Amino acid sequence: MSETTSSEAVAFAQTAQRSPTASPAKEGPRPESMFRRRIDPVSALEELWRYREIVISLAERDIRSRYKQALLGFAWALVTPLAFMLVFTLVFTRFAKIDTGGAPYVLFAYLGLIPWTFFNNCVSVGGMSLVNNLALVNKVYCPREHFPLAAMAVAAFDTVMSLAVLIVLFPATGYAPKLETVYVPLLVLVELFFAAGITLLASSVLVYLRDLRYALPLALQIGLFATPVAYGSHTIAKSATAQDVYAAVNPLAPVIDGFRRTVLMGLAPNWTQLLIGAASSVVVLVAGFAVFKKLETGIADIA
Amino acid sequence: MQTSPEGTIRAEEIWKRFRADRRRAQVQDQLQRVTDRVKGRASGRGWRWALRDVELDLQPGSSVGLIGANGSGKTTLLKILTRVMYPTAGNVEVNGRVGALLAISAGIHPNLTGRENILVTGSLMGLPRREVAKRFDEMVAFAELEDAIDRQAKYYSAGMLTRLGFAVAAFLEPDVLLVDEVLAVGDATFQQRCLDRMRYVLSQGTTLVFVSHDLAAVEATCSDGVWLHNGEVVNTGPVREVLSRYRQAVESRAEQQLAVAGRVAVRSVSALPVGDGLVRTDEGLRIELELESDSDYRGWIYVGVSEGTANPIFVVNPGRETPIGAGRTRVSCVLPRTPLPRGRFSLWVGIYDKWTDGEELLGWQPLAQFDVYGPELDRAPRAVVRLSPVYVDSSWSVERA
Repeated sequence: MSETTSSEAVAFAQTAQRSPTASPAKEGPRPESMFRRRIDPVSALEELWRYREIVISLAERDIRSRYKQALLGFAWALVTPLAFMLVFTLVFTRFAKIDTGGAPYVLFAYLGLIPWTFFNNCVSVGGMSLVNNLALVNKVYCPREHFPLAAMAVAAFDTVMSLAVLIVLFPATGYAPKLETVYVPLLVLVELFFAAGITLLASSVLVYLRDLRYALPLALQIGLFATPVAYGSHTIAKSATAQDVYAAVNPLAPVIDGFRRTVLMGLAPNWTQLLIGAASSVVVLVAGFAVFKKLETGIADIA
Repeated sequence: MQTSPEGTIRAEEIWKRFRADRRRAQVQDQLQRVTDRVKGRASGRGWRWALRDVELDLQPGSSVGLIGANGSGKTTLLKILTRVMYPTAGNVEVNGRVGALLAISAGIHPNLTGRENILVTGSLMGLPRREVAKRFDEMVAFAELEDAIDRQAKYYSAGMLTRLGFAVAAFLEPDVLLVDEVLAVGDATFQQRCLDRMRYVLSQGTTLVFVSHDLAAVEATCSDGVWLHNGEVVNTGPVREVLSRYRQAVESRAEQQLAVAGRVAVRSVSALPVGDGLVRTDEGLRIELELESDSDYRGWIYVGVSEGTANPIFVVNPGRETPIGAGRTRVSCVLPRTPLPRGRFSLWVGIYDKWTDGEELLGWQPLAQFDVYGPELDRAPRAVVRLSPVYVDSSWSVERA
């Protein structure tokens, strides 16, 4: 019986399209009653705040379930940046000379890896968060932003865990963080904006273009080398103008650069580049949020 | 703007359409769609209306049952009320906290224990964590999971997951409770307790929208009914009236499809009062069958009565083999006291070669409807009747026609 009714419905929809004469009242909705997406940032933020506990619950759920599954539990948060640090140290201290501004390369690399790993986790896990949670997204209402945001919260948790390595690294290398470390919150803010923008964008687009998820890890791998993680930003862009342009394209560059300048070298961030990066991050966040809000209306129709 | 009290649902001119083409959500499909549009080609793709101009206006504390065949738009409407899905056109206004049971195990994570799942699912449904913690023991007791609450949910059975999910949703004390056909998994006792809980929640002023194919459960729980067919509201009103119209429509369709031919054919079937007048509750009922057969058989005759075509009530048989000779045979069965409340019922007949595993001489099928007149049962007892077996006394006589 179900098959007959659904095929009847399809047949009816087709005839309805072909013959506009049949009962005009039931032909379609009045044009003025059509649903239109209005993006209202204020009420969106209000709703985000009202449902804030959900972000915590989702993040806690993911952290707990991962902790239960893996033998090493929280240690996995440290393994990735540590492994990359070892590889980079082996490769770049032997085969290429990196200008670290006088700091030990291990610290130089790790300070680049912390922000990069955070960004990488946000985009790779957060980008898939809606696709992976479709069962939930289709059954329970909560602001859809919460799924990518919860993934970001998990990434932030991992990042805080990986900071513990620094407690060992600084004494081991006989190097101390400089007073300019106080600028770090500014850098974190820029990075958060950029990561949130890209994560929101990726998570909503991947629902519609699901095969793009195979391209996501590749894009992130390329990103690792297009970002000054293993080397300084002057390795990628030589001149000051080139670096300014690069800061606009990849706001992570001035952020990572800023980490090294403030913590390791005791300099203020390069304000021009950081401002350019911050402006670019805000643009990415606004665009990512707008695309997300636009696309989220159709998510339940697809799954 | 929000002047209506919590628990109000107002849905006006709801339209919803889906793509009629197979959509795989991949890059090439989207590109195909774009090129089709550029070339101005429709290419047999199109839209299918899943909901057409649906209105729903519910006051706090009211309860409405959504009924209709599969694919009639019931779940789509629920999803729109939950705000999981956006309507193509129309206004939806739902005031207050919404508890939705669209799929019971949706929020349950297999790697977490039952305890952790209750806390997470509760806050997903919009209840602050300390409120969840306050009701925790009640939920666990309702779900009967005291022994398993610290076990990971992946080791739960389907029934345990259902109980866990329902317990969380039912103890949230939402202003609006939306329940889809989710209770089918649990056992009969648990279903009964879910219905009781739903009625309790209703009595506390919660607005209920209930989707089920279990018409008796809808009737026992809801005061109003909405009958959807192909995305349109066919009928609304008091639940009894809507249900009886719906049953008549389903039954008349079922009778059209009816094939009375087996090795034994039924020429006529009727349900008559033993005396004069009408078939009445707790008075005599005589069921008469006229059979036609091509050769001699000895068969077991079963006669059953169901509510609608879905909810069986009882089955009777003569308790011995019945000779069915070549030609016509008239069989009559008398129930001295009809154990049926007022309503319309279906009469089923099947004839089998041997008692338990014989070949069928006439397949088990509904053959006729009859009305019973008598006092109407109250709503709550009806839900209880649903679960209780009915014992029926019967006496039989057989004669060659």
